[in-house]
Amino acid sequence: MRLQAALFLACVSPVAAIYSDEIDHVDFHHGLVGAPSPDSTFFLKPSSASNASLLYTLSDKLILGAVNPRDGTLVWRQNLSRSAGAPAREAGLLRGLDRNNAVVSAVGNYISSWSTHDGKLVWEDSFADGVVADLKLLGLEDESLSAGTRDTIALFRGEKGGVVRRLDGDSGNTMWAFKDDLGDIPFQVSTSANELFYISLQSALLKGYRIKVNTLNPSTGEQTSLQVLNSENEVTNPNSILFVGTNTASPFIIWTDKSHKSLKFNLLGTDKVKDIPIWNPSGERIQQLTIHAPQKLDSPSHFLVNFVTEKWGWAEVYHVNLKSKTVKKAFHLPYVSGQSIVATSEIDNRAYFTRFTDEGVFVISSASDRVLRSWRLPRPSPDRAFHTVSEVVKKGKAVAVRSAILHQSGDWEFIRNGQPQWTRHETLIDAVAAAWAETDDQEDLAHELEVEGHESLQGAYIHRVKRHLRDLQYLPDWLRGLPRRVLGSILSDEVTNLNSFGLSKLVIVATKNGLVHALDTGNHGAVSWSIQVSRTPDLDVKAILTRPGIADIHLGDGSSASLNVSTGHIIRRSVPIVGGIRAVASFEETGSSPATRGTVGVREDGSPVRPFKDSNGFLVTTSADGRVLGWMVQDNKSPVWEFVPPAGQRVISATARPVHDPVASIGKVLGDRSVLYKYLNPNLALVTAVNEKDHTASFHLLDGVSGKVLHAVTHTGVDPSQPIASAMSENWFAYSFWGDVTSETSAKGYQLVVSELFESPLANDRGPLDSAGNYTSLASSGTESLPLPHVVSQAFIIPEPISHMAVTQTRQGITVRQLLCTLPASNSIIGIPRHVLDPRRPVDRSATPAETEEGLFQYTPFLYFDGKWYLSHARDVAGIKDILSSPTLLESTSLVFAYGGDIYGTRATPSQAFDILGKGFSKLQLVLTVVALAVGVAILAPITRRKQVNTLWKAI
Amino acid sequence: MHFSRSLLFLLFTCLVSSSSLTIIIPGSNLLPNPHVLPATTHATLTTLPSAGKDHILTTSLTRSLTLVFRDLPSSPESYLLDIHSGADYVFAPYRVDVAADGSILGVWETFRGNPWDNRGAEKYVIDVACEPENDVVVEAKVVGQKSFYEERSKFSPMSLFKNPMILMAIFALGVTFGIPKLMENMDPEMRAEFEQHSRSSPITGATGNAMSGGGFDLAGWMAGTASSPVANADGARGSTTGREAGGPARRRA
Repeated sequence: MRLQAALFLACVSPVAAIYSDEIDHVDFHHGLVGAPSPDSTFFLKPSSASNASLLYTLSDKLILGAVNPRDGTLVWRQNLSRSAGAPAREAGLLRGLDRNNAVVSAVGNYISSWSTHDGKLVWEDSFADGVVADLKLLGLEDESLSAGTRDTIALFRGEKGGVVRRLDGDSGNTMWAFKDDLGDIPFQVSTSANELFYISLQSALLKGYRIKVNTLNPSTGEQTSLQVLNSENEVTNPNSILFVGTNTASPFIIWTDKSHKSLKFNLLGTDKVKDIPIWNPSGERIQQLTIHAPQKLDSPSHFLVNFVTEKWGWAEVYHVNLKSKTVKKAFHLPYVSGQSIVATSEIDNRAYFTRFTDEGVFVISSASDRVLRSWRLPRPSPDRAFHTVSEVVKKGKAVAVRSAILHQSGDWEFIRNGQPQWTRHETLIDAVAAAWAETDDQEDLAHELEVEGHESLQGAYIHRVKRHLRDLQYLPDWLRGLPRRVLGSILSDEVTNLNSFGLSKLVIVATKNGLVHALDTGNHGAVSWSIQVSRTPDLDVKAILTRPGIADIHLGDGSSASLNVSTGHIIRRSVPIVGGIRAVASFEETGSSPATRGTVGVREDGSPVRPFKDSNGFLVTTSADGRVLGWMVQDNKSPVWEFVPPAGQRVISATARPVHDPVASIGKVLGDRSVLYKYLNPNLALVTAVNEKDHTASFHLLDGVSGKVLHAVTHTGVDPSQPIASAMSENWFAYSFWGDVTSETSAKGYQLVVSELFESPLANDRGPLDSAGNYTSLASSGTESLPLPHVVSQAFIIPEPISHMAVTQTRQGITVRQLLCTLPASNSIIGIPRHVLDPRRPVDRSATPAETEEGLFQYTPFLYFDGKWYLSHARDVAGIKDILSSPTLLESTSLVFAYGGDIYGTRATPSQAFDILGKGFSKLQLVLTVVALAVGVAILAPITRRKQVNTLWKAI
Repeated sequence: MHFSRSLLFLLFTCLVSSSSLTIIIPGSNLLPNPHVLPATTHATLTTLPSAGKDHILTTSLTRSLTLVFRDLPSSPESYLLDIHSGADYVFAPYRVDVAADGSILGVWETFRGNPWDNRGAEKYVIDVACEPENDVVVEAKVVGQKSFYEERSKFSPMSLFKNPMILMAIFALGVTFGIPKLMENMDPEMRAEFEQHSRSSPITGATGNAMSGGGFDLAGWMAGTASSPVANADGARGSTTGREAGGPARRRA
């Protein structure tokens, strides 16, 4: 009942939600999974009934995803890192099998099976006795199995050795377990039509490893035979083993020596080892040596060896004779310069190899070296391909092929018959910093106007005439484009026309692998350019600061790179600072006539690396050991003030008002026309400190100039391990946390607290500073000291956690603000209207007419998240770590960009799009009305004229 | 032998301390087909961390529309059970109490923003007399579905005709064109009578004057020189038409 009441209350409040025809029009979403792992990516038909296959992958971020090959959209995804416990540090495994309705994944000691077509869990289990080393699906036909279900063979790496388990396909129950406690290194499992092989590495006496092949009975798990292969001269570590075939009629194992002189081949279950010399004409070191073989029970026993050196690539195809148990080279593929990568696919008992080189795509049957079909690639990409999976389709005699290629930059490109179809920029999942770019289109004009302002009257006039004459050169182009623009504005949607209002902005995004991308919010977040700024694998970007035309990327070592925002070229680099930096502060510099922004690095101990010249005169920093420090201009040695939280508490974050935070009104007009004045201090900082031991969180509101604590509050029963988010704007701040039961009357759940600051509790009163012309934060005498704000707070219970908060920004701050919150539990972004979070809402009584006039309504402890508040509406926006908001030239509209996992961008219109003629404005209706009026006038005018003439005649 | 083994098994299951909690999502009026729930649907058990125990447990929706928490930690805790299904469906929160041995003491509905001790409908409670159940099964309750989108008013010609202004305009048009047609079709006697009637009304009379272009001679009427429209109508019974009566007045003016 209470919930219903809350629902009702939430529904009556007016909100601006997205229209369903504006989806994909005002917003864009890149649902990302991360870089696909090479051995856990494959095409698979989701069910035996369907013919279309999906692309399944388990990424390096342990996100399991199914991608539609048609357009590259995500069908479903699951984040396994959440379920897999602490030991999930290594890469995961994903296995699928045609005619099976589930894919099985393993991460650490956690195995789970997921339905192929909708991504729902089939079963999951964790095993205490080791992490999963290998996983296979049993391909063999078994009468006992129901259709579409295949059992899993899992190999665990325990402390004493390996454990092989057969897990039931429907329930995940262990059917049998084979324990090997001889201390060998468990390596892999492999299956053939009627046997199961468990391969382990036995330490040889002096050096290297001997390969031990245990043959097991797949239905009971009993050992039937054991072979030990003398491989200790070649196998020095598990990476020396290149390939273990699986699910084929007769699986084999191939390994090589360290210097890549020859390949060793063994059919599993036999003790013969065949030596295949490697042909390497260039003599260059072989960088990549991969074996590709079909993995289906009815596929031919052929395999391809792909060799890649620095400059060259070639491949050889071998055929295995199962009767004589011998292997011989069948043919080789051309020796080419540049890259060469190969993928295998099987259809109708035949195997096909798809080879990508700089020249194009080639499809070859495993039986002969005749090229079945080839396509030229449009241009050789500078971004080297890393890995590919392909699917060959046969239509009569012709073949078609589609492949997903993973590039070294992290882009996942899909090519169908030599034509690029889509590219997923999976590296964006690692975005660590982002900023809105400022273009410099208007800079030239601003400069010219400045010149005019400084000249004499005649000079300025001549300058202006010259400038206008110069501008005439654009006139023909403008005139030529005019009909198209007029037609376009009538026929097309408003998006194209609103770009001139600042709705199309570039966002500069830096990712962990050293790439910097520019995403165009006006073009569905498409990547405009990307550039490698640093080669370090784990780029530590502290901040991206933008100036008109330039973006500065500040790195953790204190160096920075300046990029041109329209092209992405690096303009300038600065050298690293000894000791590195913790953060970068940006401020308006004093003493420069056009205001320029200066930056200064902040060291680990919180001190600025050099004296700074801030026009505000102060700087607030946090240090690595959890102190908050205040600094004066020109002094980076000793802080002016220092805030140390009470003993046992640790500062976890500090929030300030946004740089662009205009205040439209300095007071709040009450229902009786009196005014409550807002406490507007530009130098506020909200410091969050937690105590892990006694579960408390304190929020301290500091004055940045004097370091004085203006307001402090402590909450008990707080879980510090859960996200504690905070945001501040204008004269209010909000924070959220998990609050637990501390007394009989307290509730359990996530809480959102909002506090508003006023100059005085009384209306029409400006407190002690009323008559003061100036005031200082630094005055220390009792009466003159900084007056404390009057703080009004209200707390709400919210249905789910908030991991990050931000506030919408508009040009003049007239539009109602929204508190932007990331909801990790439902993978959404919500904009809570400010008026709902008004701490002056009446408690335990309904609002009086005067309060209703103010927009206040009765307080309810539970804040239901209304569907209309969801900026991300029905989208699944996962992993967001930060939200940026930017004003546009339209007061009603604020751009919102979220990154950190997925990439999501939208336009927020908290008070509805009052200055835009949206889609609801029908141009057709307007035209029809005008036409109808014109027709009416045309018909009625002669009638009226005749009538007037008639009356005049009759009158006379 | 067989009997004793089954007894042993029973004993064994009773001794197993950690138990599991299964939540079934049944079909309901609000959610007729629970299979439409997205793959990201999951349930969480949350409480305050104590002594390094797992304090947030998460489980994903299975193919058979259940959410299963296996092996609940063995420590006395009172968990808040939330089910998150994208942002679409809203589920009622539950309170789950776990005993020190990991068995479930009870599952109740709970109300957000109310004291934690304020429990709602009981979903399951431990039966003290019997051995504790190992696998507790409760049903989830869907309380609502969120609507994300604003409805856009569609343009239709019918909505145009529902506008009172348009209706008034159409009526006025009908009167302008319809009345003269009606008059023409009347037989002469009726028409004469109708005209007489309309003249007897001061407003129509005035309108008639205005129509004739002469205008009502207010000054003359007030001075008593012109006959009032009423008197005019009375006086001109059967002899003159309104226009002719107005005619002299105009000429006088």
